[in-house]
Amino acid sequence: MSLETFGWLVVLFPLGGTVLIALTSQVLPSKVHGYLGTVAIALSFASAVGALFALQDLGEEERQVTTVAWNYANTVGVDAQLSLLLDPLSIFMALVVSGVSTLIHLYSVSYMASDRGYTRFFAYLNFFVFSMLLLVLAGNFFFLIVGWAFVGAASYLLISFWYRRETATRAGIKAFVINVVGDVGLVLGTYFLFQGTGSLDFLQAFQAADEFSRNDGDLVAGCLLLLVGAFAKSAQVPLHTWLPDAMEGPTPVSALIHAATMVTAGVYLIARMHPFFEQAPIAADVGAILGCATLLIAATIGLVVTDLKRVIAYSTMSQIGYMIMAVCSAAYVAGLFHLMTHAFFKALLFMAAGSVIAAMAGEQNLDKMGGFRRAMPFTFGAMAIGGLSLSGVPPFSGFFSKDEILATVAARDDWHIVLAVLGYIGALLTAIYTWRMIFRAFYGPPVEPARELEGGHLYHAPEHTNPATGEVEDTDVGFPGPDHHIAEREWSMKVAMSLLAVGAIFAGVLQIPTVTNVLHDFLEPSFADSSFYEELEPSDGATFIGMAVGTVIALAGVALAYRLWVVDGERRRVTALRARLAGVYTFFSRKWYFDEIIDALVVRPFSMFGRFARDVFERVIVNGLLVGGPSGAVRAGSAAVRAVQSGFLRYYAALLLVGVTSLGLYFLIAAS
Amino acid sequence: MSIEWYLVVSALVFSIGAGGILIRRNPLVILLCLELMLNAGNLALVAFARAHGNQDGQIFALIVMVVAACEVAVGLGLIVAIYRRRLPIDVDELRELQG
Repeated sequence: MSLETFGWLVVLFPLGGTVLIALTSQVLPSKVHGYLGTVAIALSFASAVGALFALQDLGEEERQVTTVAWNYANTVGVDAQLSLLLDPLSIFMALVVSGVSTLIHLYSVSYMASDRGYTRFFAYLNFFVFSMLLLVLAGNFFFLIVGWAFVGAASYLLISFWYRRETATRAGIKAFVINVVGDVGLVLGTYFLFQGTGSLDFLQAFQAADEFSRNDGDLVAGCLLLLVGAFAKSAQVPLHTWLPDAMEGPTPVSALIHAATMVTAGVYLIARMHPFFEQAPIAADVGAILGCATLLIAATIGLVVTDLKRVIAYSTMSQIGYMIMAVCSAAYVAGLFHLMTHAFFKALLFMAAGSVIAAMAGEQNLDKMGGFRRAMPFTFGAMAIGGLSLSGVPPFSGFFSKDEILATVAARDDWHIVLAVLGYIGALLTAIYTWRMIFRAFYGPPVEPARELEGGHLYHAPEHTNPATGEVEDTDVGFPGPDHHIAEREWSMKVAMSLLAVGAIFAGVLQIPTVTNVLHDFLEPSFADSSFYEELEPSDGATFIGMAVGTVIALAGVALAYRLWVVDGERRRVTALRARLAGVYTFFSRKWYFDEIIDALVVRPFSMFGRFARDVFERVIVNGLLVGGPSGAVRAGSAAVRAVQSGFLRYYAALLLVGVTSLGLYFLIAAS
Repeated sequence: MSIEWYLVVSALVFSIGAGGILIRRNPLVILLCLELMLNAGNLALVAFARAHGNQDGQIFALIVMVVAACEVAVGLGLIVAIYRRRLPIDVDELRELQG
């Protein structure tokens, strides 16, 4: 099969899966739908592998293929076609997305097994994968926006999956609204770029990128608006507040959408638009600085959050901050490499967290966990591998990708060095908060659920409650199912986590400095027009210093966490530290007051404006003048005419007679 | 006899019919008055046909009779329906269609 066929199949398999699951939801037993969804995504992954081989068969110069299914609209200069762009970058993204998605589907087959919304879950999940693949494979701005909006919708559906939990529906709405802000940014950015380049097609637009002068006003505006889109989707400051709340969704959703795939769409977008960002360094610098700010802010919040999933969510924000900083500083390979390794180890961490939460019967609070090491050895192993990779301990994959980012950013040889230094500080925080989470959940005296599990019995809460509010819930549709599933007892969860663990350990071999350069060579054709791609290369000395510093920092972070949370079993130091830095602690645990600031600056003015529009504009102007005016005139007129309708037959007859007679008289007089 | 006399009689009958419709309240009488007006028209048509010396007016008069018959059928039907539903046989009472 040709490259084009493979490319279309990648998108069509998940779409077919969605439709098939939805149509057979009443016909087939729900157990089948989980496997149906998994197989659809696995076939999509196989097609992506096929596309990879077909692409590598082409010559280096020809590895950018646009395939058009049909012209969607071709009018007044807008060339919106249903087209896919198959180049190393999009195939790389498709491989990561479909590969990780397959494993997460497999994990969900067991993890969601007792949920009443099982079929609906897999239909949504397949729809999400379809949208995400459409996003990364789209060959023009038009379908990029379509995919972009679709993933937002899928994210909303899945965050609010337990739709009878009010906290979940609120989180879904929040995520959707912030994502729509990003969608608007993307659309407006596209408009500015389209004005300058005159084409919606990626390849043609990129070729025309040179027509903008450097830091041209329109171009900078367009790039900044693209950044708004990327930041909203990738949960970067200040549009990040939806991601921690999105943890209300089921854990596989957090692993798939809010760790591995959708939230990295912003990184992909910036890497894809690199010809514009290189012409608009101001916009790229803004992106890099905000990415760096995000990685520090999120890491500090991650230090104090006590919700297991939210710790990982803030870690995701922080790691995406690294990627955004990288791609905005023209370290494209490093950013995309980290995207891939992050997809592996973060999905793994979420899966392990899901297993722990299941063992706790839905409880997510770290304060109530402890001592799971002996009860859940497999989960602990997975969590430790993910944690080591996330903290950047060699030779795990995260070590190579994070150090490549920091070394490459530092190689810019200007103020970017500051970003790299801050990145190392972030790496220290990363190691501390990751291992704080792991030590608190797995070390210390075993809690009640852990002891029961050691005795061979899975803990069940006396009554089902919402972990966020403590409200009592039942287990009917719209709430989590009655049974919980841990990795130790489910083969599909085990397989999925083992494969991801292999990725988290070994993915680093793709880009070992001075030894392998696989990803760099593979992605070369997509970045052939970049002026930084070949030049921006840290010297060997700088690379090794960076790696040494990174190793020391990561180990120091882990050791510090070990001292604070394991050696000091009573946690006296932590308590003392918290008491001494009470102000800082409150500041971090209130999430830097971002929710409050956004509430005061945006939400309240807008809701006041909305109330004004409802009470004044709607009532007085629309209802009173626009609607009331004409309808009042009609009502008055009809009241006058109605009086003639007396209902007396003789009046009508008299009227007729008088009328006809006077007409006849008029014509008689006029004729004579 | 000249045509004027016929027309005078026709106008007279027509006015009697119209006046009847305006002042009477019994629907049966109103129908009768309607017939008077139609037949006044017929008389004028026939008179004109004779004055002009062709048969068009007479044919027209026959058609008017057919229409009149239909109208009587409908009208009497309505009156029977009113009677059966024990509504007042009085057009001034039957004025629910006022505005």
